[in-house]
Amino acid sequence: MPDPDRQPDQPDDAEKRSLWIQVARYSQLALVLPAATFVGWLIGIGLDRWLHTKWLYLAGLIVGIAAGFVELIRTVMSSESKQP
Amino acid sequence: MPEQLWFTALLNRLFAGPVDSAMRALGVQPVHPNAPITDFVAMQILVAAFLIALFVLVRSRLSAEHPGGLQHIIEGFESFIKDQSHQVIGPHSEGYTAFLVALGFFILICNLIGMIPGFDSPTAVPSVPLGCAIVAFFYYHAQGLKKNGVAYFKHFAGPFLWMAPLMFPIEIISHLARVLSLTVRLFANMFAGDMVTLVFFSLIPIGVPIAFLGLHIGVSLLQTYIFVLLTTVYLQGAVGEEH
Repeated sequence: MPDPDRQPDQPDDAEKRSLWIQVARYSQLALVLPAATFVGWLIGIGLDRWLHTKWLYLAGLIVGIAAGFVELIRTVMSSESKQP
Repeated sequence: MPEQLWFTALLNRLFAGPVDSAMRALGVQPVHPNAPITDFVAMQILVAAFLIALFVLVRSRLSAEHPGGLQHIIEGFESFIKDQSHQVIGPHSEGYTAFLVALGFFILICNLIGMIPGFDSPTAVPSVPLGCAIVAFFYYHAQGLKKNGVAYFKHFAGPFLWMAPLMFPIEIISHLARVLSLTVRLFANMFAGDMVTLVFFSLIPIGVPIAFLGLHIGVSLLQTYIFVLLTTVYLQGAVGEEH
């Protein structure tokens, strides 16, 4: 059984864990922009088929790229603000 | 009839009839009425049954004085996730540990089961990581709603009210992109790991595949860690104090 008096993290453990958390956070940066762009395009294509239009895929693509950048900047800012 | 693993064939022999009826009741016509259960569904059923049996076994032998090896492993995994969620989410993170531990165990066993001859990794099929990502997506939004009530939706409107019509679609897409990125990362890594092992096993069947099997174990552990950690980060975004 775990020791009930044990603190959740000893300083060394916390430092190592924090490094891994940073690694995992940054690992999503590579995927977030293409993923958001693809999702935006997909939603646009879906709306085009549903509403019988021909331009919503472009709007979806642009909003998707914007969403990718928003998420990218948010991830970087949140990681930097959590650094000691 | 499609080629299938022995466990899938066993499930299809036992349950093909009821599964066909259930699918037709839902308006889905089975492609192979004699084998409606696919390999990845059978493997997930096996993993779920294995985990339930494992937890029942550990629960029945739970001892504070003489903890067994299995109890140590399970408690080690649980306290690792608990410490991590405490560090990411902060105080009051204990309520989310059960979900994160269950998700972590499921993904880890799904990743590793493919290394046993006669079994396949269900996470090497896109639908399974997608299912896990959708569960994580609904879970963190449900917890955000539970914690903040209707005010949770203000988060999607951006910092100023006049920006809301622009920010709302951007936020929806960025949250859906999280589902896609979780899915693609896990699927691509597990699929590539399987393929690399298979290719080297075909080229040099002695010795070399062991190194790639070791690599596959490392990738399985790392991908489980990243999936659970990112789910914790998203949970923190939904329920955290700075929200």
